Amino acid sequence: MTAAHRPFWYLGRRPADLRSEIDEELRLHLDMRTEELVARGMAVEDARREALRQFGDLPGTREYCRRQDEDKEHRMQRALWIEDLLQDLRIGLRGLLRAPMTTLTIVVTVGLGIGATTVIFAAIDAALLRSLPYADPGRLVRIHTDAPPNRFPFSIADYLALRSQQTQFEQIAAYAVRVMAYTDGTVAERVQGRGVSWTYFSVLGVKPAIGRDFTEEDGKPGGPLAVILSRTFWQQHLGGRADRIGKPIQLDGAGYTVVGVLPEAVGPLERGQDLFVPVQFVTPPRKGPFFLTVVARLKRDGSRATAVEELHAINRRIFPLWRASYQDDKATWGMVDLQSYVIGDVRAIATLALFAVALVWLIACTNASNLLVARVTGRRRELAVRAALGASRGRVVRYLLAESLLLAVGAAAIGVALARLGAGLLREFGASYFPRTGEIVIDGPVLWLLVGLTAGSALLFGLVPAIHGSGGPVEDSLRASGRSSTGAVSVRRLRRILVGSQFAIATPLLVVAGLLLASLNQLGRVDLGFNPRNVLTGGILLPARQYSDSRAGAFWDELQRRVEAIPGVSVAAFSDARPPNDVNNFNNFDLEDAPTPSGQSQPVVPWVSVTPGYFQLLGLNLVRGRLLDKRDAVLPATAEQPVVVDRAWVRRFFPDRAAVGRRMRQGGCTTCPWTVVVGVVSEVKYVGLDQPNLGTIYAPLAPQTHARYIDVRTSVDPSRMLPAVRTAVRGLDAGLPFSNVATIDELVDRSLARPRSLSVLVATLASVALLLSVIGVYGVMAYYVQQHAKDIGIRLALGGSRGDLFRLIIGQGMTVVTGGVALGLLAALAATRAMSSLLFGVGAADVRTFAAVAVLMTVVAFAACALPARRAVGVHPATVLRDE
Amino acid sequence: MTKPDPLPLVQGTLDLLVLQALASGPTHGYGIATLVHQRTDGHIAIEDAALYQALHRLDRQGLVDAEWRPSENNRRARYYTLTPDGRKRLREETANWRRYARAVDALLAGA
Repeated sequence: MTAAHRPFWYLGRRPADLRSEIDEELRLHLDMRTEELVARGMAVEDARREALRQFGDLPGTREYCRRQDEDKEHRMQRALWIEDLLQDLRIGLRGLLRAPMTTLTIVVTVGLGIGATTVIFAAIDAALLRSLPYADPGRLVRIHTDAPPNRFPFSIADYLALRSQQTQFEQIAAYAVRVMAYTDGTVAERVQGRGVSWTYFSVLGVKPAIGRDFTEEDGKPGGPLAVILSRTFWQQHLGGRADRIGKPIQLDGAGYTVVGVLPEAVGPLERGQDLFVPVQFVTPPRKGPFFLTVVARLKRDGSRATAVEELHAINRRIFPLWRASYQDDKATWGMVDLQSYVIGDVRAIATLALFAVALVWLIACTNASNLLVARVTGRRRELAVRAALGASRGRVVRYLLAESLLLAVGAAAIGVALARLGAGLLREFGASYFPRTGEIVIDGPVLWLLVGLTAGSALLFGLVPAIHGSGGPVEDSLRASGRSSTGAVSVRRLRRILVGSQFAIATPLLVVAGLLLASLNQLGRVDLGFNPRNVLTGGILLPARQYSDSRAGAFWDELQRRVEAIPGVSVAAFSDARPPNDVNNFNNFDLEDAPTPSGQSQPVVPWVSVTPGYFQLLGLNLVRGRLLDKRDAVLPATAEQPVVVDRAWVRRFFPDRAAVGRRMRQGGCTTCPWTVVVGVVSEVKYVGLDQPNLGTIYAPLAPQTHARYIDVRTSVDPSRMLPAVRTAVRGLDAGLPFSNVATIDELVDRSLARPRSLSVLVATLASVALLLSVIGVYGVMAYYVQQHAKDIGIRLALGGSRGDLFRLIIGQGMTVVTGGVALGLLAALAATRAMSSLLFGVGAADVRTFAAVAVLMTVVAFAACALPARRAVGVHPATVLRDE
Repeated sequence: MTKPDPLPLVQGTLDLLVLQALASGPTHGYGIATLVHQRTDGHIAIEDAALYQALHRLDRQGLVDAEWRPSENNRRARYYTLTPDGRKRLREETANWRRYARAVDALLAGA
C-alpha cells in the first residue's frame, strides 16, 4: 500500500496486526507443504512434522520478518505524516490566497508586532541583560562620591589617595572627558578624547589591537606624551598605516606619540571616543574640582562589603587633610556595579517600550484570531463534511493549525525583516537615546524570542478558531444553514469577547501615548526665559601651546569685533554654557549670612561664566543692581569677585531680603576673597527643560579662557550667517576647530529628541492598536448584520422605525466596546503610575487624557459600528426577504 | 539413477532467485519455493525459512509489493509482486551473475 492511494481513514497498522499477518502467511505455507506431502502418500502427522523440519528456523524467521515489517511501517508512517502536513500546507496556502485581504492584514499586523517586539527586546538584551564586553565584568565597579541624593565624580586628590591606600581592588583607573584639537599640519579638528590613568585599559582588560597599552612610565609627571587611538580615528586620519605607530601626532599643539590602536569592537565606555591620553597626575593644591570617573576591579576573592568599608575608611582618613577647601563631611565614597552605571536611567523607558510593542503584538494576534474565527465559521460546513467522512477532530485541528502556521511564518518573515531594519537603525542612530545600541545583534536570546513569538502567534490566533471550527456535534453544523443557528450565537459570543479584549488592550496604550504626548507638549511650552530665535552658537578651543593668556585675550577681543562687524549680526558674546541643557561648571558656595553647618553639603548651582554682552544677547531683564561689565573680568585676585544671580537663586536663598550685596565663599575655599552679588536677572533654563529653576550664578568669563562658546544674535536666519562667522574664525586662525555649531532652537529641539522619539513610538503603536480594534468591531458588526438581515427585513416590513433598529444594532457593538474601554481605563490607571518618571507637567492619572482617550475610542468605534448598521437599515425590506 | 544432493546456495544469490521467480508474475511464498525447485530441477535447495526472510527483506527495501489475495484453494495468501525498482534490480543482478559465471568458467577452462 502506498501513501497515494490509501483510504483517508488509514491510520497505519499496529505491531499486533503485523505479527498475526506473518503467522497467517507462514501457517499457509506449512499447510500447503503438508498437503503436498500427504498427496505423495505420507501420513498427516508425519507430513506436518516433515513440513516443519523442511522449513527450518520458524521462531527466528517470525522474529526476522516482524522486524523487517515494523521497520517498513515506521518509515511509511513518517512519509505519510510529512505528506499529510505538506498537503495541509498546500491546501492552507490555497485557501489563504483566496482571501488575500484577511491574509495580508494578519501577516502585516502580526509581523509588525513580532518585528517591533524583537527590536525592542534586542535593545534591552544588548543594554540591560548582556554583561559588559570587558574581561570578567562582574568584578568591575564604579567608585563615586556619595552625597545623597547626588553621586558625583572623584577629584584628583581623591583618586591619588584611593590609589595609594586601597587594598581591596586589584587595580583602579580614572578617566575624564578630554576634548583636544588635532592638527595634521594644515587643518585643525576638535576630537573627542579621554584623559585616562595609565591603568585604564588594564583594569577593563582591553588590549590594543596594534601596539602596546600604556605603562606606568606614561603616567609619570614629566614623562613623554603618549596616545592610544581608536581604530576609526587611526583609519580616517592616519590612513590605517602601521608605520605611524611609534610616531607623534599633534594634539593641542604638542607632539603625542602613538603607542597603540584599539580593536574595532570596543566597550560602551570607549565607544565614540577618538583617542585616549594618559593623565600625568600631580598632587593638587585643593580638594576639587570633581571630574574623574573612577573604575576599579575587585580582587577575585574580595568581598564587596569589605571594599565599601575600606572606601568609607579612606574617605574619613583624608577628610581632615583637605578641610580648608572641602567641608562636606556627610559625603562619603560608594561604589556601584559598572554595568548599572552604564545602564543609567533607561529601565523605565525600556520597560514601557517593551510593554507597548508586546501589547501591539497581542492585539494583532487577537485581531487575527477574530478574522480567522469569521473565516472558519464560513467554512463550518466544509469542516463538518470532513468530520462526517471520518477525519478525526485532531486531524481537522491540525489542518486549521497548518493554516495558522503558514500565517505565522509569513508574519515572522516580515518580523525578521523589520527587526533587522530596526536593529540597523538603532545601531546607527540610537546611541543618544539608549546605552550600548552599537552592540545590538539579533542572535541568541533574541532569536529565541522571535521563535517563541512566532509559535505563540500561531497558537494564539490558530487555536481559538481551530477548536471552535472543529467543536460541536457534526449533525448540528450540517443541519444549520449558517444562519440563525445555535452555532452562530456561540461564534458571536466568541468574537465579541475577542473584540472586547482588543479594546481593553488598546485603551491603556492610547492613554500612555496621550500622557507622553501631553508631556511633550508641556516640555515644548516651557519658557526658556529668553527669545531663542536667531541665536547661533559654536565652540572654539584655543591650543594652550600656541596661545599664551595674553594672546588668547587679544584673539577673543578681535574675534568679537570681526563677528559683530558682519552685516546681520547684532551682538556677539562668549560663554562657557548654553541653554537649555549644557552647563560646564557646577560650583558650591557658602553664604556669609547663612553659613552651611559643618558636616552638611553646601548648595551647588550652575556657575555660568559670560562676557558682558551675553545678558543683552539673550535679552535678560535686569531686576536689581547692575550687570557685569568688562572690568569685572580683570579685577586683581585679592578683590571681591562680582557675580550676577537670577531670580530663582534669590527666591531660594533670600526669599524676603535683598540679595544684592550678599557675600559668599565659592568652591569650598575659605581663604579666597569674597564673591559678592551685584545684580539680579531673569531666569534661563540651563539644566534641561524638564528641570525646575533652582538658581544660576553668572560670573565674569576670564579673558584668557581657552575653551568657550561664541554666541551670536542675528537679525536674519542664523543658519545663513554661519558661513560668515566661520570665515571670521578662519580669518584669525585657519587651524582652529570650530565645533558643536547649532542655533539655540536646534539645541532645544535636540534636548527633546528622546521624549519625542518615545512619544512617536508609543503613539504609532497606539494608532495601530486602535486601527486593529476598529477593524475587529467592524467585522463583528458586519457579521451580526448579515446574520440578522432577515429579522431586520421583517421588522422593517412590519413598519419598524429605522432609527430604533439602528440604535438596536449599534447597541450590539457599543456594549462590547464600552466594556472593553472601561476595563482598559482601569488597567491604564494601574499601569501609568509606574511611568510617572517619564512624565512632565501631567499627572499619571491625568483626567483630561483619560477622558480624551475614552471619547476617542468610543467615537471611532461608533463610526465603525454605524457603517454596517446604516447599510442594514437602509436596505429595502423586500430585497432582503426575497434573498431568503 | 540417484540424484546428487542439492547444492547449498551460493552466498548472495537468494535475492536474485526470488526476484527471478517473481518475474513471471505475482505469487505467494510457497509458489516461489515450488517454482525454484522445478526450474532448477531440484539442484538448488532454498530453505523455506531463508525464503520468507528474503521476501520480507525485499518488501522493506521496496523491491517487491505484498498484498493479501485469495489463493488457488481459496485461502487468504500473501502475494508478492515485483515493483519497478525490483525489476531494475533483477536486471542488474542477472547481468552481474552472468559476468561472474563467465569469469569463473573462463578460469576453470584454463585449468
